[in-house]
Amino acid sequence: MRPLFLIQAILLCAGIMKAGAPVDSVPPYRPVTSAYSIGIGSSHLCNTYLTPLHYDGWGAEFRYERMQAMGFDPERWIMQLDGQLKFDNTRNPAHNATLTSLTLRLDWGMMYRFRVPHADGLQLFGGAYTAIEGGGLLLARNGNNPAQAQAAWTVGITAMGVYGHRIGRLPVTWRYQAKMPLTGAFFSPDYGELYYEIYLGNHSGLAHAAWPGNYFRLDNLLTADLHLGNTVLRLGYACDIFSSKTNNIVSRDIAHRFIIGITTEWITLGRSRGIDSHARIISAIY
Amino acid sequence: MKNKRTYIAALATAFIATACHHVEEWDGGMHGNFDALWTIVDEHYCFFDEKNVDWHSVGQKYRAQINPEGMETTEFFTLCGQMLNELQDGHVNLSSSFNTSYYRRWWSDYPQNFDERLMQQYYLDFDYAQSGPLSYKVLHDSIGYMRVSTMASGIADGALDVSLMSFADAGCPALVIDVRDNGGGMMTTTERLVSRFIDKRILAGYMTHKTGPAHDAFSEPYPFHYDTAEGHVRWLRPVVLLTNRSTFSAANSFVSIMRLLPNVRIVGDTTGGGSGMPYSSEIPCGWAVRMSACPVYDAEMRLTEHGVAPSDGCKIDLDPQKALQGTDTMLDFALGLAADWREWYTRPQ
Repeated sequence: MRPLFLIQAILLCAGIMKAGAPVDSVPPYRPVTSAYSIGIGSSHLCNTYLTPLHYDGWGAEFRYERMQAMGFDPERWIMQLDGQLKFDNTRNPAHNATLTSLTLRLDWGMMYRFRVPHADGLQLFGGAYTAIEGGGLLLARNGNNPAQAQAAWTVGITAMGVYGHRIGRLPVTWRYQAKMPLTGAFFSPDYGELYYEIYLGNHSGLAHAAWPGNYFRLDNLLTADLHLGNTVLRLGYACDIFSSKTNNIVSRDIAHRFIIGITTEWITLGRSRGIDSHARIISAIY
Repeated sequence: MKNKRTYIAALATAFIATACHHVEEWDGGMHGNFDALWTIVDEHYCFFDEKNVDWHSVGQKYRAQINPEGMETTEFFTLCGQMLNELQDGHVNLSSSFNTSYYRRWWSDYPQNFDERLMQQYYLDFDYAQSGPLSYKVLHDSIGYMRVSTMASGIADGALDVSLMSFADAGCPALVIDVRDNGGGMMTTTERLVSRFIDKRILAGYMTHKTGPAHDAFSEPYPFHYDTAEGHVRWLRPVVLLTNRSTFSAANSFVSIMRLLPNVRIVGDTTGGGSGMPYSSEIPCGWAVRMSACPVYDAEMRLTEHGVAPSDGCKIDLDPQKALQGTDTMLDFALGLAADWREWYTRPQ
């Protein structure tokens, strides 16, 4: 019920806001902001289904991000699509066992844009998103419980601040975004349940309702986009904090990443429309 | 205004700090490692009641013997291994880079009842087909003989097809399957084997697991079924299963499932048991620990942790004197039983 309510609330807000939006004589261009980035840094993993010990090591990730102002009210609403492929390689305190993790995550969300009065270049965004995530942890030296699958579908809230200014002659766009799931569902075996029992057909009790008390995630992303001509260099820092507890199994994943990437903005032009010099260009964040 | 900001900041900090759920941690010293080992076993081991073990008393007894100042690492390892041996469980081990602890009395207190050289020299004549852990040959009197030495590696479907077909082609009225000294391995291998000896889906047993750290926190037994191997060669004629105390774990499960088939007799000694599926963990110094965690029951909801007894009238040991003369009394008994069934057996394959 709660995800449905959130979606309805977003659409309702969108309808209300659109009523007060300025009307363009020609439809504005809404460039797509695409960012490809890689990140590398430290990882901290713990999953008590596999081991009670805390593992530390390094991690790497690839991110694809796509943002665009939305057609129904481009001044005020933007959409964001995020894809993240993440790998962690960690060691136990005795350095004689390795816990690896591979996760793929896709987020899609909508945010409302507030242009802050008397603060030129500052934009604040708030909205909601939904995410699906799948992956697993592998601790190869365990016999019957060497792996832990991870799967979740969540709905959450996000907030973002964007500030554009110049350092000397170089335009720079600073951005901070936080995401946190509020509800959803996630997978977990029972406390001592082996995957062999699941393989035999016992699928009961594997899906769990998520709320911040049993499934906490806070993803933080701070970036600086350096506008170097037509290309934008993205430098940043990401801190993802995750902790879940269900069936007396605690899973924790804390990652710090330094990010480097390339960002581009592009517009799709229709053959029939051509380029209309009167049309405004409304970027998602720039 | 300032108070409001402070309140919000404190709330946010508390929110994030409490968001990471608590995980118990131990120090890296002997006491910390001992407590970690004791706690992991306390929270995951599944046969405290069946073994009548008071784990708290065991912990107190061995914790009092820790002496970090005057104790070598190897001595500490031995102490931890001795504590685990109180569980009297062949599935419980502590593994380090220099040693692995075992509880061996589940087989060492009994006659071995198996001599591989004797069987290979005087019955197989060192001339038999082999594929992985599967060895087979048609013996004298047209009795099929199949040895499965371990469940730790898979058995190819092709090997099972060819071996069973060779017995059928030779007109074998019965088959002896020798699982003596089979220490177990993968339950999927057990399933693959059983599927060749059933003509319909059967209830193979029940499995439970811990639902929490408490000693009595178990899930409802889950019934699991095995299907017949459709499209493959199956053997539905009489089977004699040859067992000893070293028939353990997945091999013990194989025997417990086959025992309930109407055309199967168990011959030899009681199996070694090991009906708890193991779970692995580790302690801060990096030593790995393994223990029984998920009890598996047979289709009659009987726990076979202490083994599966031979069929009535089929308990027999290997006679060491006769072994010296080239006779495996257990195998001879099994072959005789199989031959007796020649007349009894009328059902087509």
